[in-house]
Amino acid sequence: MAQILVVDDSSTVRNEVGEFLKSNGLDVAYAVDGRDGLAKLKADPAVKLVVCDVNMPNMDGLTMAEKVRSELNNSAVNIIMLTTENSPAMKERGKAAGVKGWIVKPFKGEAVLASFKKMVGV
Amino acid sequence: MAQQDDLVSKVLVLDSDPKCLERIRAFCDANQLVGLKVQPDNVMAVLRSNVDLGGILLSENFDGRPHGGVQMATLMHAIRAELPIFLRREVRASLDDLAPSERKAICAAYTMDTMDTLRQPIADYIFSLSYPNALVRGISDITCAALSSQFKDLQVQIAPPYIVRDRLIYGEIFTLIPIESTWCRGYMMLQTEEIELLELVKADRTHISPDQGLDFRNLNGVLGEITNLVWGAFKNRYMGDSARISHMSQVPIVINHLHRYISFGSDNPQLCFRYTLNDSAQGDKLVMYQKFVFNLNWTPEDFSEDLTSVEDLVESGELDLF
Repeated sequence: MAQILVVDDSSTVRNEVGEFLKSNGLDVAYAVDGRDGLAKLKADPAVKLVVCDVNMPNMDGLTMAEKVRSELNNSAVNIIMLTTENSPAMKERGKAAGVKGWIVKPFKGEAVLASFKKMVGV
Repeated sequence: MAQQDDLVSKVLVLDSDPKCLERIRAFCDANQLVGLKVQPDNVMAVLRSNVDLGGILLSENFDGRPHGGVQMATLMHAIRAELPIFLRREVRASLDDLAPSERKAICAAYTMDTMDTLRQPIADYIFSLSYPNALVRGISDITCAALSSQFKDLQVQIAPPYIVRDRLIYGEIFTLIPIESTWCRGYMMLQTEEIELLELVKADRTHISPDQGLDFRNLNGVLGEITNLVWGAFKNRYMGDSARISHMSQVPIVINHLHRYISFGSDNPQLCFRYTLNDSAQGDKLVMYQKFVFNLNWTPEDFSEDLTSVEDLVESGELDLF
């Protein structure tokens, strides 16, 4: 069972974020888009943190976040967006969907590791 | 013009057992699959060509070699990772006994006794999107009409529509145009071979003169116009009010591999940047070109920059907690 789910259509980003988190003792699973992310969360509701891109094919990250809350009824999992998007309107939509935080790419692991560990309870 | 309500998909059938082949054939017929048999020696060559495949049905003892199928799966996966491989096993419909690198190449296992269980993985991996029949028929109608209007005295035939998972490009010329509406967003591509198109132009079967065909840009234009016609008709027929409400024009992007050429449909100059990344230790370098083509709208008098105040600026990479 994974503690963190990394959702991004870019294998480069999944690899970068996932390997950093794993090298810091965290269990990581992956999804390639919002639809895949939703399915993985449904299959593994014990995931504590989702790190998710916004612009993805099939289902974008904000829609996924909305569906995690509405369709999966999962209000416990922390969702952090990791994206190139920085618009206030998009962040507002994220907040309304229960997203807990926003990181503008590129990913800097050391800057967020402590917060991530806290969110998964280690 | 052939009509087909049920979409099919071609699957490569790599199985040497004649009794199993009969049942696999029946399974394919019942599940919208068109099986293609290939000699063991030709498998890799077929996979490197454009055969529009949806997946591969492979036996674990393919080519008479125990475990030969599994080895073949890892080779095939290395060159065509997007193609799902379904492995027929002799004893158990499981991948647990395989090494992780072998399991990675295979998406599902089955035995002849559990063949029915293959329906779900086929549905998940090949037919994962449901296309309304009316859309499929409509696209055929629209495109045949566009082709008939752009080519003189030619008969248009259409094969049954099909699903692919591969990402290969056919031919040397292709066009790309975004399709956007409230209910669907994506792209349409038209792909063809330059030589065949040139022959039709030389035979005066198009609306450009034979000597205009000597300039490959004019050939690109023929395909570009067909793309335009299909896109317009698709928009009118299937996008309804969403298209009228947010009218965003689109033009086809035309790419010609043979001539290493790309056109965005306008003569506007492109703003270019050239980056060189140097590894002074190894002596390697990478050159990358960045180009901006504002072919759909360019209104520099409306240019503005979002200058957020320093206090509000969150540095990239930092976590902004809500």
